[in-house]
Amino acid sequence: MKVILLAWRNIFRQKRHTAATLLAVILGIAGLVVFEGFLHQLMGSFRDSTILSGIGHLQVASRADYWKKGEYSPYSYALADHGKVEQSLQHDPRVLSVFPSTGFTCLAGAGTKSLSLLVKAFPNSRMYFSQKTNRRADASQLVPDKFYLGHLEAGEEPDPLQTGELYLGATAARILGVRPGDTVTLMALLPEGGLNGRDFKIRGLFTSPGFDRYFAYTDYKTAMDFTLQKAPPVLHILLRHRQDTAGVAGELAVKFPQDHVKTWQELAVYYRQVNSMFTTFLTIIQAILMLVTLFLLANSMARSVLERRREWGTLRALGTPAPAIVVMVLLEGILLGGVGGLAGLGVGYAAAGVINLCGGLPFHNASQLLSVDVVPEASLVGVAVLPLLITGALAALAPAWQAVKTQPADSLRELA
Amino acid sequence: MSRSTPLIQTIGLKKHYQLDKADSPALEGIQLKIFSGERVALMGPSGSGKSSLLNLIGCLDLPTAGQILYQDVDTSLMNDKKLSAFRNKSMGFIFQSFNLIPVLSVFENVEYPLLWQNLSSGERKARVAGMLEKVGLASFARRSPELLSGGQRQRVAIARALAGKPRLVLADEPTAALDQKTGRDIMELMTQLNEEEGATLVFSTHDPLVAQWAHRIIRLVDGKIVSDPTETANEQVRP
Ligand SMILES: Nc1ncnc2c1ncn2[C@@H]1O[C@H](COP(=O)(O)OP(=O)(O)O)[C@@H](O)[C@H]1O
Ligand SMILES: [Mg+2]
Repeated sequence: MKVILLAWRNIFRQKRHTAATLLAVILGIAGLVVFEGFLHQLMGSFRDSTILSGIGHLQVASRADYWKKGEYSPYSYALADHGKVEQSLQHDPRVLSVFPSTGFTCLAGAGTKSLSLLVKAFPNSRMYFSQKTNRRADASQLVPDKFYLGHLEAGEEPDPLQTGELYLGATAARILGVRPGDTVTLMALLPEGGLNGRDFKIRGLFTSPGFDRYFAYTDYKTAMDFTLQKAPPVLHILLRHRQDTAGVAGELAVKFPQDHVKTWQELAVYYRQVNSMFTTFLTIIQAILMLVTLFLLANSMARSVLERRREWGTLRALGTPAPAIVVMVLLEGILLGGVGGLAGLGVGYAAAGVINLCGGLPFHNASQLLSVDVVPEASLVGVAVLPLLITGALAALAPAWQAVKTQPADSLRELA
Repeated sequence: MSRSTPLIQTIGLKKHYQLDKADSPALEGIQLKIFSGERVALMGPSGSGKSSLLNLIGCLDLPTAGQILYQDVDTSLMNDKKLSAFRNKSMGFIFQSFNLIPVLSVFENVEYPLLWQNLSSGERKARVAGMLEKVGLASFARRSPELLSGGQRQRVAIARALAGKPRLVLADEPTAALDQKTGRDIMELMTQLNEEEGATLVFSTHDPLVAQWAHRIIRLVDGKIVSDPTETANEQVRP
């Protein structure tokens, strides 16, 4: 008790250099909070929009190599029990929607021009485009039970009652020289070597960076008819809460052992790569910050212990055992680290609030300038403060030893 | 004056400091006895070894050679824990520059050594209040020592040294940082408390006026005792 009290009061004693040290630690931690909050939000919205842009939380297929080879050549991957799977999930409160998709490769021709295309097909009611540009990195603006497939540059949103219509990537449309309302002919090679051809009316053009040169979308029913498939190769499952992914996946694996289930974590390869890169980046920054903090705190502690040399002698003369003084100095380091960490968190969260009020931080993604809100993770409290307590203790180790290594008489001697 | 066992006895006490590998002798074979209740002045010019001797008696430093016995107990055999407890219970220290703890109030400074003893909080507070009363600082209890004058600070230090009812109080140049009048007040207070509380008082000074407050003056020059009434003659110890 007495030891804690003394340690606590001593922190605020050398006001000048304690304040300077604390300020540096606070700014460091606050910077980390803002940076982490920025990354967290950016990666979070990237993750959610990845899930809601054609992947889903879970996919069920009949064979594991569907995801390698079958996405645009689904002919040998029919998911025979898709009806049972859908049925089993129909009344599951965790599930928002279950729907099939298919895809095929084809040659698209309009007039004298042609182009090979990858066509993906979802039920009309499960896909949408958007005319608004979402300038905020915030997936909460996405519809949770459908796939967002891109920005609608021209034309209209899907109509559930219409079939046989095509959404063409804007770049592909430019190459083919077509506009909404025009017709393109798609020709697909079927498994038995047959060639099937059909005219599709273009309902809209979408832009989606990297995709609108090769991709087109049509409705699921038309695609199944066109490619002569009887059962879909894959089911997409959208959940109410991302956290249920593993649970639902596990249950499906038990209920349908012959099928294969993949989670969004497994499917969103690009997200995973980017996320692991940013996580590594963040860890390195944290480590550097801790090292700098260790250095700052150690320096500050060493100074203040040296300045109080005579006091250690006095305390020991008055009967304080050497270990109690060691604890006192260590506690001072720990408290200093803790105060710096908590204040840094406070300043960081406050700065995040101000930044968000001003519209977030800018971020240039592939196609546009996004603004990103700074949303630090609550668990950051542990991440920032706990290592700081340890750092504080480490920083105080040498000074603590310094305070008691000499005979009290040597500490008490007047400095010449 | 005949006394049986001395409170403190030093036998062939030597202290040499190591200065850049050169050996610097500070005390050379100190032989002395101090008896319970005595008021002893260590007198000598600066550098004569007064502080070194007080530090050894206070178990704040280790002798190069020789022994100190406290009623026949040899403290060189004690570990840090025992030694701390021994200092805490049996000794009070008064320093030239007061050495109060600046982050503690006057009251807390006096209370600090008592925190290491097994006292109920009530008894502890009562003792601190009593001591502050005795040194005339009861109304300053909540103040920071930094706001006090030198004389007042030394009074706080005296209260702190005596609060634990030690057998021995060691004061190294207790008046050297004070003006003459304040120094006299401090000596008067220490003398009065030495008589009231019965604690043995050993203090050092280079000032003959201050030394006069002692029953007995031991003179040191160059780390040796050059005169000690108890050793030289059957002299009366009282001044
Ligand atoms: N820590 C030390 N290291 C080296 N020499 C010291 C140290 N402490 C004291 N001395 C030397 O020992 C001698 C006695 O010093 P001290 O006991 O402080 O005398 P006094 O208190 O009478 O002035 C002096 O010559 C002083 O310079
Ligand atoms: Mg001295």
